[in-house]
Amino acid sequence: MRTVLLASLRVHTRRYVAALLAVGLAVAFVVATDALSSAARSGLNAGVGAPYAGSDVVVGESYGMSIEDEERATQVARDAGGSTATIGRAWEQLTSEDGRQLDAETSIGTVSTDSAFRWQEVVAGRTPTRDDEALVDERAATSRSIEVGDTLTIGSGSDVLEVTVVGVAAPASYLSAPVYVPWDGLRQLPGAQPDVVLVAAGGPDADAEALTADLSSAVGTSVSPVAEFVDERRTQVNDGIDVVSYLVLVFAAVAAFVAVLVVANTFTILFAQRSRDLALLRAVGARRRQLLRAVRLEALLIGVLASTLGLVVGGLGGLGITAAVRAVAGPERIGDVAWSPGWWVAAFLGGVLVTVVASWWPTRSVVRISPLAALRPEEPTHARSAVGRRRIALGALVTALGAVPLGIGAATSHLWLAMLGCFATFVGVLVLGPVVMPAVIRLIGRVVGRSGAPARLAVDNAVRNPRRTAATTASLLVGVTLTATVLTVMATGRGAMEADMDREYPIDLVLSSTTSTAASDEVLEKVEGTQGVERAVGVPGTTADAGDLGAVAVLAPDASTTSATRDDGAALVVAGDEVLVPSDAEGLGDVGVPERLTLTGPAGVVELTTRLVPSRFGGAFVVAPATLERLTPEPEMQAVWALAEAGADADDLGGSLGLVAREGGLELTNQLDRRGWVDVQMDILVGAVVGLLGVAVLIALAGIGNTLGLSVLERGRENALVRALGLTRGQLRRSLGVEGLLMAAAAGLLGTALGIGYAWAGVRTVIDVAVPDATMIVPVGQLALVVLVAAVAGLLACVVPARRAGRTVPAEGLVAD
Amino acid sequence: MNQTTSARPSPPSSSPVLETAAAARGLSRTYGSGPTAVHALHEVDLDLPRGRFTAVMGRSGSGKSTLMHCLAGLDQPSAGTVTIAGTTITGLGDDDLTRFRRDHLGFVFQAFNLLPMLTARQNVLLPLELGGRRIDRDVRDRLDHVVEVLDLADRLDHRPGELSGGQQQRVAIARALVSEPDLVFADEPTGNLDSETSAEVLGLLRRGVHELGQTVVMVTHELEAAAHADDVVVLADGRVRQHLTAPDADTVVQALHGSALHGTALGAPVGGGAR
Repeated sequence: MRTVLLASLRVHTRRYVAALLAVGLAVAFVVATDALSSAARSGLNAGVGAPYAGSDVVVGESYGMSIEDEERATQVARDAGGSTATIGRAWEQLTSEDGRQLDAETSIGTVSTDSAFRWQEVVAGRTPTRDDEALVDERAATSRSIEVGDTLTIGSGSDVLEVTVVGVAAPASYLSAPVYVPWDGLRQLPGAQPDVVLVAAGGPDADAEALTADLSSAVGTSVSPVAEFVDERRTQVNDGIDVVSYLVLVFAAVAAFVAVLVVANTFTILFAQRSRDLALLRAVGARRRQLLRAVRLEALLIGVLASTLGLVVGGLGGLGITAAVRAVAGPERIGDVAWSPGWWVAAFLGGVLVTVVASWWPTRSVVRISPLAALRPEEPTHARSAVGRRRIALGALVTALGAVPLGIGAATSHLWLAMLGCFATFVGVLVLGPVVMPAVIRLIGRVVGRSGAPARLAVDNAVRNPRRTAATTASLLVGVTLTATVLTVMATGRGAMEADMDREYPIDLVLSSTTSTAASDEVLEKVEGTQGVERAVGVPGTTADAGDLGAVAVLAPDASTTSATRDDGAALVVAGDEVLVPSDAEGLGDVGVPERLTLTGPAGVVELTTRLVPSRFGGAFVVAPATLERLTPEPEMQAVWALAEAGADADDLGGSLGLVAREGGLELTNQLDRRGWVDVQMDILVGAVVGLLGVAVLIALAGIGNTLGLSVLERGRENALVRALGLTRGQLRRSLGVEGLLMAAAAGLLGTALGIGYAWAGVRTVIDVAVPDATMIVPVGQLALVVLVAAVAGLLACVVPARRAGRTVPAEGLVAD
Repeated sequence: MNQTTSARPSPPSSSPVLETAAAARGLSRTYGSGPTAVHALHEVDLDLPRGRFTAVMGRSGSGKSTLMHCLAGLDQPSAGTVTIAGTTITGLGDDDLTRFRRDHLGFVFQAFNLLPMLTARQNVLLPLELGGRRIDRDVRDRLDHVVEVLDLADRLDHRPGELSGGQQQRVAIARALVSEPDLVFADEPTGNLDSETSAEVLGLLRRGVHELGQTVVMVTHELEAAAHADDVVVLADGRVRQHLTAPDADTVVQALHGSALHGTALGAPVGGGAR
């Protein structure tokens, strides 16, 4: 039997290319993930300890601490003769000396003036010694053109901090920020949040334990020795990386599942084609068990070979990708690859297991081959394979049963139930594949088949063996369905979020003043002329005295201003006896919101009912136009609102409008960047998911190419016959191309339809919880692209088989075995 | 490549009385090279008259299948020329050759004659469809006539799997005749059939020649099959041993015996030898 096994491996290895490719890619995927996650881990871990190095005791937890605890801890530690440093953070607007808005909202970190606690490595300039001096991250300095000696304004409104840049810090992997300011400076900003207080006991003979006890009794948060604290942080960082790795492994599992389908299909076809050989073996005396053992051993060897190739490719690929990511993200984030033997072993065994499991059913068919088959005259390997009624009944039943939890899950937002339903209905569709796929192909074929005989032949060939067609397209169906689902859910989620954003931030950019300075026509003109501004309007208003709240800017948006809002003025609807009070109005914290507010304008006094609204108008109060007329006979242009063009860069626009605002004595409120941030996040997420699913699609396409290749071998005689009867070489190649195209397009269309259906369930289950009644948004363009890519790839997949088929001389094919 | 439709003069005919449907001159086909080379055909000169049913006979390995493949443009000869209906097909490019086959030749093979996923009617009309010909009234009339002669009317919508071997061959003959080709090649058309069905199929081919005015060239190793033919070409070792016009059975047997002198077996049927 061994002679037979080795000989058949030698002869058939080329036919196993797709199986090798499918399993190898899945294995390589896992190994490459290991490379990247281990590199990220070593990069981040190296940085975790640095900020805490100078301390003995750390006060606080990972989610921060209260200002009071921070003050008490600092006091207690200093009283005991120790030294302290507070690590904190603030999210603020960053503006350059000349009024350029550098960042609408960025993270500001801390740097200690005490060298013992300073972890930043200064590469240019010097370290800050005063509260109004700052360090700038090297990358931030380059990208935002900040230089040593520059003055930066941190924050907006009246609570701002002006700092002088004195040095440049090397990029850090942990606690990194574009700008570092000493805590005593940063704490002046209302948004500053202390993270932890680092405490060093005073001198070698100081009692660290007593200090820890004193601190514990003084503060309401945890106090831990530095080693313990750093260990905890390290675990957190690693857990974070692990979560990402495991998420990636989910996609590896999808790839493995697709690989199972491809491998099973390949073996099924190969054994069907070899049934005569196998029957001959039976006829000359091989026992069933011997035959079964031989073909299973063959599958095992293929699995071992594929997994080994996968390890090599994945290892090299992982190193390559890591190097590429390091070049982009910086060496402080991506360290050296540390291979984990566990992952390698798991990937290898997984690959072998996938192959053996996938070949289990096809190999079982081998024992059913009768020795008599060898004696029968040669026939075309397959007539039409009938689709059993049992299969149809089973598929319909599974689909119907799956629809129940799917419906209930979607209606009640029960995630697990909905997922179970999705899975069950999908399995049902896969079982029904031999009925459904040929039907879809015939449907597309009606259009394609009109183009002539080669296309008609292709349609007939594509549906002649429904089970093979279904098995071949199943793998692509999985990939396309998942991709379409993800794209549609993401698009809907993005739409819901944008609708939410439109409500939350109806105006992109506001140029206004909280004092009496009014905007001018000149400012309006400049804003209108700025690149990236779609439309700008001047908003009439005045300044008024609001009693305890002091002098406030009052706006009365009229009908014309709604054209510059994203919600068609919905947020600006205000009754005649009402005033909208922004939640961040100055003095509100001290006075509280009165139920009624008296506004005293240049011409009159009005008493209005207050309505507290989120800050959307640059801190101004909003009244109805009629109310404004009672306050002043001559309204001024109090603010300029700008609507950004689609796709305009928030930071660029903020930078240029910041300059305009400063020249006009106004302030800029940039609400566009929140929108941009969400867009970027969504784009990254969609790109990552589609990229990861791409591996599964790649495997599926290898499967289609392989099936076509095997079909071409099988149909050698038929192809020779049609060539003899007058099909030109080009027509034959085209016919095979259309066949691949049809299969891929059918899987693409069906997968997209299913994907939209599952996305609907997903939206009802997941997004409805956050945004009720979110409108389903079907990203038609993206989905069309998915179908197109699948179809084109299907076309590419049959280039090799088609060339091989075209090369055969008719006479050769007619005599070939 | 340089397809000359009618300008080229027909090669000289050895039989001036009958018009020539196909002619081979110095036709050689060698497989391999050097000392291991096999000469399947050796400078064969042959003229096949129009409107006749010619059988090509010979032992296995005598080169009769190779001769048919080269005559029909399914294989390129190593040397020599083949002219069919005034067109020299040797030297034509693959696409021109394919188009020529489609428009001028018909084929009946031993097995795998029909595409399994097409109905009998679709199989019959396939060459016309490949050529992009419209199925007009003329074609339909011709189809009806052929179908009537071949007694296939109630079988046209069946797929090959639902037809007997004899019926399948009849469909193949219908396909070969419906486009009114200049020449029909039949390669062991009765190889897979019992003697009764064979006789029926051969009778139909003969009717095709005599009633529909076709020219048929049949490769066979069966004496009974050759008996249905008008002429018999006997091949041996890649050469034409004899070209017999309307021979009687004894003459053919004698010719075959002569060819058998080089080997041990007589010209009796040899199973599957032609392939």
